[in-house]
Amino acid sequence: MMERDGQDTIIATRNLSRTYIMGTMQVPALKRVTLNIRRAEFAAIMGKSGSGKSTLLHQLGLLDTPTEGEITIDGVEISGLSESERTRFRLEKFGYVFQEYAILPELTALENVYLPAMALGLSRDECARSGMDALEKVGLAERADHRPREMSGGEQQRVAIARALINEPKILFADEPTANLDNASSKQILELFRALNRDTGQTILMVTHELEDADTVDRVIWLADGEVVAREG
Amino acid sequence: MTSTTSELKVSAFLAYKSIAKGNKGTTLLTILIMALAFVNLMFMSSLFTGMIDASENQVIETLYSNIVIEPKDDETYIMNPDSILKKVDSVPGVLGTSAQYVTASTITYEEKSGAWAVRSANPDDEIMVSSVHEMMIAGDYLSKYDRGEIIIGKEVAGGHGGSLEHLSLGGVVVGDTVEVAFKNGVKREYRVKGIFDTNFIQSNQLAYITEKEMESVLGTSDMASQILVKTKGKGGEDKYVEQFIMLGVHEDVKTWSVYAGIIAMITQSFDAINTLISVIGFFVAGITTFIVIYVSTVSKRRQMGILRAIGIKESIIVRSYVFQAIFYALCGCVSGLIVMFAILVPYYTTHPLIFPMGDVTLVIEQKNTITRGLGLISAAMIAGFIPSWRAVRETILDAIWGD
Ligand SMILES: Nc1ncnc2c1ncn2[C@@H]1O[C@H](COP(=O)(O)OP(=O)(O)OP(=O)(O)O)[C@@H](O)[C@H]1O
Ligand SMILES: [Mg+2]
Repeated sequence: MMERDGQDTIIATRNLSRTYIMGTMQVPALKRVTLNIRRAEFAAIMGKSGSGKSTLLHQLGLLDTPTEGEITIDGVEISGLSESERTRFRLEKFGYVFQEYAILPELTALENVYLPAMALGLSRDECARSGMDALEKVGLAERADHRPREMSGGEQQRVAIARALINEPKILFADEPTANLDNASSKQILELFRALNRDTGQTILMVTHELEDADTVDRVIWLADGEVVAREG
Repeated sequence: MTSTTSELKVSAFLAYKSIAKGNKGTTLLTILIMALAFVNLMFMSSLFTGMIDASENQVIETLYSNIVIEPKDDETYIMNPDSILKKVDSVPGVLGTSAQYVTASTITYEEKSGAWAVRSANPDDEIMVSSVHEMMIAGDYLSKYDRGEIIIGKEVAGGHGGSLEHLSLGGVVVGDTVEVAFKNGVKREYRVKGIFDTNFIQSNQLAYITEKEMESVLGTSDMASQILVKTKGKGGEDKYVEQFIMLGVHEDVKTWSVYAGIIAMITQSFDAINTLISVIGFFVAGITTFIVIYVSTVSKRRQMGILRAIGIKESIIVRSYVFQAIFYALCGCVSGLIVMFAILVPYYTTHPLIFPMGDVTLVIEQKNTITRGLGLISAAMIAGFIPSWRAVRETILDAIWGD
């Protein structure tokens, strides 16, 4: 049983805590969180505002350093990594989609998408090819040469998703990716995630507070006051 | 190692996009300021080089030629100069030689008198080593058989607005008679045949009589106080000196630069001023770059955070800003050089600046250009590095979501 868990688990945390220090005040945003995410799982993190969803995602996505506890990702104990190894880890194994469409205004859609591939050392041709593939997946191939300001919010968010996918990440992290979008665009993005997970077995960890998203995902991790709880809060 | 080239590619790509798709006005203004800083650096140093060059040329053209052969330490005259001339003339690259007597004298005209050096010249030889004959502002140069005639510099004659007017004879004109009391006691009267102005204060304080005349004054023959040697070009004199010594010239052989004491002084004080101006120029360029890059990193704070979040190394990001800074500096250097070569150098060539050491034009030295250019680029690199390096010190979360 334990053995099987080990193979299937892509993210495991033990007693993960993150306490922010504000002057003399200590703000415990995460309290001894222990959880497993399985390979090819589409998991949602839900909970009230301020419950620690983003904080958890930042710890798991190696954007922040926990105050206490362990994280093992893809068999690697994270606390043993140097800053530059963490950066490399993010480039090779993770994809990120943020709430705000976080793409560079100076680059075209295609350039935004292939930038992480370029950083991995792919040639210009390879970059362009896999960049187009990724844009194809999000249905924006015909917008390849458009700059962000020429695209709608939903389209920009899909560009960000294509960028997150370009290096074939082990895990796709998304923090409220649809919060700034209208219903139609939100639905499109969620369906995209669903399809990615179904068709390619993409592991996805998504923070959301749309209750209806809960039906789409494989599992919901509920947070309340920085702790994992059994049911919706 | 391959990762390094691909990292450089990403840095260059980000820098290129930032410049190409960024604000054109900012880019142009930055380049303009860099160009001005570079022109400022180049203008002062090429003006100083031009002044030094002009002074050196004056020393060579009107005072000592390229090489001077003098008597051995304890002797007054070079004996049998012809044999030395023969040796020296045989060296390829020697364009002319002139044996001269030099003696101190007191020249008197009406109530005024003063102490000046009188040189003898054999005009046929002298015109091969000196340009004084081309610089007559009144009357004529000496002819070979002149006996009772003298030519004098403008500082001797006076009346031509020289810097040492108060020490001059107060306005001697061609045809006037002056009395020359030589150091050996001989006193003779000479008709002023010509007055020259070399634009150089030192050579304007000389007087010349013919060799025959001087030998009759001194009672010598077949001797010389010094031999001036003209060689091809400026700067290679040491090689000739070696050859002369190898050919058996045992006298004291010196190059013009030994005599150019004033130039050395001018050079030193120029160098100090020049360095100061350069440092200021580098600071202007550096601070400009710093501000431009700083503003850019502030406005792109969130973008930098996102780049780092998705796994772009900090060094790649910092280097992309350093590349931008290098780009600004390089464009500044190139536009500065264009301004120098297309506008300033031609302008000052047709309108030289008048200085006591002669007409000064801008002389751009390759070495100067390269050091100034590299200095400017280094200043820009440092100025691009500091703000971007500081910007990536921030945590990723603060960069993306902080305030
Ligand atoms: N940088 C910080 N400094 C101090 N406290 C912080 C910081 N970031 C978050 N917190 C606190 O930690 C707790 C959890 O914040 P977090 O952003 O993880 O919540 P969340 O569940 O993502 O909320 P939301 O749904 O509003 O995005 C909150 O009480 C928040 O105020
Ligand atoms: Mg949040």
